[in-house]
Amino acid sequence: MQSNRQLICIMITAALVIAGAHAALAQTTIKVGNILPLSGPSASVGLQNKQAQDMAIQEINDAGGIKALGGAKIQMLYADSESKPEKGVAEAERFINTEKVNILTGAWNSAVSYPVSAVAERYGIPFLVPVSVADKITEQGFKYVFRIAAKDSWWTRDQFAFLKDMEKEFNTKIATVAFVYENGDWGKGFAEGWKKLAQQGGYKVVLDEPYPSTATDLSPVVQKIKRANPDVLFLTSNAADAILLTNTMAEYKVKPKAIIASGGGHADPSFMKATGKNARYLFDIVEWETDVNKPGADKTNEKFKKLYGYNLAGESVDAYVAMYVLADALERAKSTDPKAIRDALAATKLTTGPAMIVGYDAIEFDASGQNKHAALVMIQINDIGKGMERITVWPKVSRRANYKPVFPTP
Amino acid sequence: MTPSLARGLPLVVLALVAFGLPLAVTSATYLHILILLFLYAYLTTSWNLVGGFAGVLPLGHAAFVGIGAYTSTILSLQYGVSPWIGMFVGGLLSSLVGVIIGLPTFKMRGAYFALATIAFAEGIRVMFENIDYLGPLQINGPRGLQIPPLKTGLVHFMFADKEPYYYIILVMLAAVLALTWAISRSKLGYYLVAGGEEPEAAQSLGINVAHAKLAAMAMSSFLTALAGTFWAQFTLYIHPKSVMSLDISFEIAFIALIGGRGSIAGPVLGALLLRPVSDFSRIYFGDTLPGLHLIIFGVVLILVMLYQPRGLQEPLTRLYRRAMGRLIGDRGAPG
Repeated sequence: MQSNRQLICIMITAALVIAGAHAALAQTTIKVGNILPLSGPSASVGLQNKQAQDMAIQEINDAGGIKALGGAKIQMLYADSESKPEKGVAEAERFINTEKVNILTGAWNSAVSYPVSAVAERYGIPFLVPVSVADKITEQGFKYVFRIAAKDSWWTRDQFAFLKDMEKEFNTKIATVAFVYENGDWGKGFAEGWKKLAQQGGYKVVLDEPYPSTATDLSPVVQKIKRANPDVLFLTSNAADAILLTNTMAEYKVKPKAIIASGGGHADPSFMKATGKNARYLFDIVEWETDVNKPGADKTNEKFKKLYGYNLAGESVDAYVAMYVLADALERAKSTDPKAIRDALAATKLTTGPAMIVGYDAIEFDASGQNKHAALVMIQINDIGKGMERITVWPKVSRRANYKPVFPTP
Repeated sequence: MTPSLARGLPLVVLALVAFGLPLAVTSATYLHILILLFLYAYLTTSWNLVGGFAGVLPLGHAAFVGIGAYTSTILSLQYGVSPWIGMFVGGLLSSLVGVIIGLPTFKMRGAYFALATIAFAEGIRVMFENIDYLGPLQINGPRGLQIPPLKTGLVHFMFADKEPYYYIILVMLAAVLALTWAISRSKLGYYLVAGGEEPEAAQSLGINVAHAKLAAMAMSSFLTALAGTFWAQFTLYIHPKSVMSLDISFEIAFIALIGGRGSIAGPVLGALLLRPVSDFSRIYFGDTLPGLHLIIFGVVLILVMLYQPRGLQEPLTRLYRRAMGRLIGDRGAPG
């Protein structure tokens, strides 16, 4: 009797173990909920984000999925936020409650990522943010939010560091600066940083001019710039207004010693096409440039260009890289449990693989969830015999070989 | 059973179903959709006091939503005042703004009135977008205000679950419907309808049309602001583009037009039709063909406007009356 009961116990245990193992094998997909602006004012950047992530997910799944989870595939679910916070929140909750996603990513617009981070925190679902740059997103004391891109304050910090280095390198004194920016969340955040840094650096602010990004005529703004006559002009613009400003400034012959833009519209592929020669010598800060000196970067860019018809932009790279950060975390978590994924993300130290097309050497998150190595580069738009192109100039170690920046602008 | 009691019965059943719904709908997503549905039904019913009864087309009610949301949020974030109190402060403030807007604009007719209200609302939004501090009050410009989800409970008007929000907005909706019903049967209601349809005739009968419209506007903007506070406490994040955008004003007007302006059931019917169309088309098509859900929304709108220009309320009421007549043999009912 006794041995019989033991046998039954063993059999039951064995059955349970097999069933458990079977359940683990049957779980072949990891669901990722991705909230992006797919319609509305930010639709084009939202789409670029989606394309970069589609490409990364395809690569990861084709390479055998997540090996630690028996080759589990990543399944990406997309939702449209229309750039509206309340829709983003609704979609985040739907992803968590109805679709039972294991992880959230998105949401491009800082205004959407911000409230979504609170939802993710409440439900204990990790939220991997590739590019929403507002500082506050990782400064709420949350445990479940992780950001790949450099935050706002780092962008402005590096713009001023770049200016100081240029002054030294070219022995030119810069005394006055002007700030012209779109009057949204993003532009105002940048302007706040600039004002602080200008004061610290001893620059005189001769113009502080927010404008609506939807304006169809920016000549009043340009006239103000002309009148203020700054040594250096700082810009934060979306695509249409970046083009309009650049062309109008050329028309009015406004030529400061340097123009320093903040990515966004100035980094949009349409900007170079629509401004042509007018954009020559403009400096722009970006996370990434196609001429970055990293193995695999040119190949990845070529593949992307072949698929979608244009170059990878800094934001798309962050979106692409985020998927490899996720895959790496899943391999280490060996589980689809959101808490385990969160802990694995927090312990990320990624130094190899396709994610390393970024301009820096490792991806690691600090206690707030911010990628602490995220770095930025400055580029100059110039024609050195092959038409207008974006050439990396700063930091000096990343500068394209044999290129000498043009500073101040002739 | 008397016929009038029998006619009231479906309403009671409806109310019971509405109150019991969270027992059946456990998914937070669907509750969220239902809450927004009731919120818009509430907003449109409040709007209906002016836009329906008074016969004008105000397209700036988003400003009142924003004033309500900002007032209670600023008061609770900076001074620790419970949003329930802030809600009514916002209502009064909004009422004041409503009257200020109403004084010059009610003299205008038709499209001019609609355009003037748009201009006022957009003006207020642009102001909020460009002001970081209004005296000691932190408005935070375009970046908006985040309500930290720390203190939950009835006093703080903040809950971890959706059910309390559901019941709050349901009670608010029931209250505003009852108020509308009372007004439609009061002197003010008749004044408004008369002034809306034939202002000259009404005036010659000694009705102070302007006065009645202002009273309606004050009430409507007060009630709309209450929904603003609800919105802020529900989403825990407000910025001018979310709580003051023209989209809200337009959606309210669309719901009213589709449901039927000037009737009590119209706003609810309109919300019942339009909100699910907007939410479900976004959920099911938002990722496959970006923007398709907006097209579907537009097509539904056009179809109803083409075939039922006075809203869905009319044919539905006819149907309902006929069904009730069959059921209780009350063929003598008027209408």
